[in-house]
Amino acid sequence: MIRDITIGQYYNGDSFLHKCDPRTKILMTFGLIVAIFLCKNFVSIGIMIFFTVLCVAFSSVPVKMYLKSLKPLLILILFTAVLNLLYSTGGDVVVQFWKIKITDKALFNALFIIIRIICLIVCSSVMTYTTTPTMLTDAIEKLLSPLNVLLKPFNMQVHTLAMMMTLALRFIPTLIEEIDKITNAQKARGAELDAGKFTDRIKALIPIIIPLFVSSFRRAYELAFAMDCRCYRGGEGRTRMKKMKFGFRDLIVTVLFCAAAAGIVVTNIKFGSVL
Amino acid sequence: MAKIAVRGLTYLYGQGTSTQIAAVKNCSFDIEEGELVGIIGHTGSGKSTLIQHFNALLKPTEGQILLDGEDIWKSKQSVRNSRFKVGLCFQYPEYQLFEETVFKDVSFGPRNMGLSEKEIEERVRQAMTHVGLDESYFNKSPFDLSGGEKRRVAIAGVMAMDPDVLVLDEPTAGLDPRGRDTVFSMIRNYRNKTGKTVVIVSHSMEDVARIATKVLVMNHGEIAMFDTVDNIFSKGNELIEMGLNVPQITKVFMRLKEMGYNVNSSVYSVEQAKNEILRLRGDIG
Ligand SMILES: Nc1ncnc2c1ncn2[C@@H]1O[C@H](COP(=O)(O)OP(=O)(O)OP(=O)(O)O)[C@@H](O)[C@H]1O
Ligand SMILES: [Mg+2]
Repeated sequence: MIRDITIGQYYNGDSFLHKCDPRTKILMTFGLIVAIFLCKNFVSIGIMIFFTVLCVAFSSVPVKMYLKSLKPLLILILFTAVLNLLYSTGGDVVVQFWKIKITDKALFNALFIIIRIICLIVCSSVMTYTTTPTMLTDAIEKLLSPLNVLLKPFNMQVHTLAMMMTLALRFIPTLIEEIDKITNAQKARGAELDAGKFTDRIKALIPIIIPLFVSSFRRAYELAFAMDCRCYRGGEGRTRMKKMKFGFRDLIVTVLFCAAAAGIVVTNIKFGSVL
Repeated sequence: MAKIAVRGLTYLYGQGTSTQIAAVKNCSFDIEEGELVGIIGHTGSGKSTLIQHFNALLKPTEGQILLDGEDIWKSKQSVRNSRFKVGLCFQYPEYQLFEETVFKDVSFGPRNMGLSEKEIEERVRQAMTHVGLDESYFNKSPFDLSGGEKRRVAIAGVMAMDPDVLVLDEPTAGLDPRGRDTVFSMIRNYRNKTGKTVVIVSHSMEDVARIATKVLVMNHGEIAMFDTVDNIFSKGNELIEMGLNVPQITKVFMRLKEMGYNVNSSVYSVEQAKNEILRLRGDIG
């Protein structure tokens, strides 16, 4: 059913990483993504894998969930690996049949690309599993707040953009439910949604899209009034109930990350590249 | 033969997931032709889930729905037939309006049935008469109407398909007492004129008592009672235990009975109450 789709895949929990400052998690995720592509030999990628496993362990999210997030990308991963296997140049030929030559470089390339994509997905999943979408947007707002100076002449604030994002995320499940309801109501009047030519199918969406728009506008007005009634006046001078704080956990995470990053750089230089 | 026969119906939401809920559990009952069945039950008791099976919007996890003795899930054709034979009007149906004019919106159903323009117009006129809206509404935009009028247009949209069974999910939700009365007299007129089977879902016992011939009481996805209005109200205490509100007049008579008066506590209308009191006075004095 349509409502099974989850947006923002927060996994409820109370782990070390859940309690970390979302800003730390965002910055660390970006840092990891860069680090993943720096790894050039088996020692550095080993450090990377170790750090990823550490993250997974401290997120207390079942490994099953990570496998689930990898599943839809399995084909992409395999496809990229095969391309790398066939089209890498240089190195010694290991296997050869007919016109296809597979070199040791190609093998390493394919292996590295698989590990990199998996690490990439797992690391970003760690962030989205342990941080609610609201916390993420809050953190983005905080991180981007220096941009307020640039936006000032346009009478805009980072806060406004972040609020828009939060609201959009908040209303996705509501809208999905609404689509469900309207679809059923029109089906009950004999609307056929999954039959006929392509153009017929597009036309059949009109009775669903129009009521959806109408009710979205109604909701938007109601929400705007409700916010107004509670004296919402934008971000200026606004305080927070849950203050983001850089605590000892964030310090630990940052130190560990810096150590891993340094390790990757050093081993890269020391052992050279196999790619 | 029963118009709609439900046989061992069970429906699970989110089957096989951690959030699996049995919304309807092993229900069996018959709805006879020409009856006006009221379905009542507390919030979340599975009323809406149950009625969405009547026109094949939901597929039973277990069990069968027979429409005129035929399983509605037998073939693609029978599923489609059931959509037109059973006209289902959802809660807050005004949110399904989408056309530029009332006429076009009401004709959406008949048009999907593949009728000729002439037949469509006839159906629309008839349906609009049923809901008590005259021709001056035909060319108005449905979005410019009042809430109550929108509701009536939406109900007309279902009536225009001329279904054998009309099913209404909380047709009076969110209306004021006047609007409620209008909707109920509309439904009563529709039934008197056409003699069609009608099923009404409601929270309000009082409303159901006013117009239903039979009442089906749902409790946590199960059928607690299915009987005539009189028999249902004679079990006032059980209804209250299920979190349902019995009509106030019934409460008065239940209390009188508790106090030791020999009254019939299945009273549910003021008229009956008057007769009962007169009878009691005759008894005593
Ligand atoms: N689309 C859905 N997905 C999952 N669970 C649902 C869905 N719709 C209803 N439910 C659940 O099924 C149960 C029965 O819901 P249903 O809507 O049939 O109750 P109802 O008797 O119509 O209630 P109400 O009087 O509030 O309209 C409830 O526990 C509800 O939470
Ligand atoms: Mg309901």
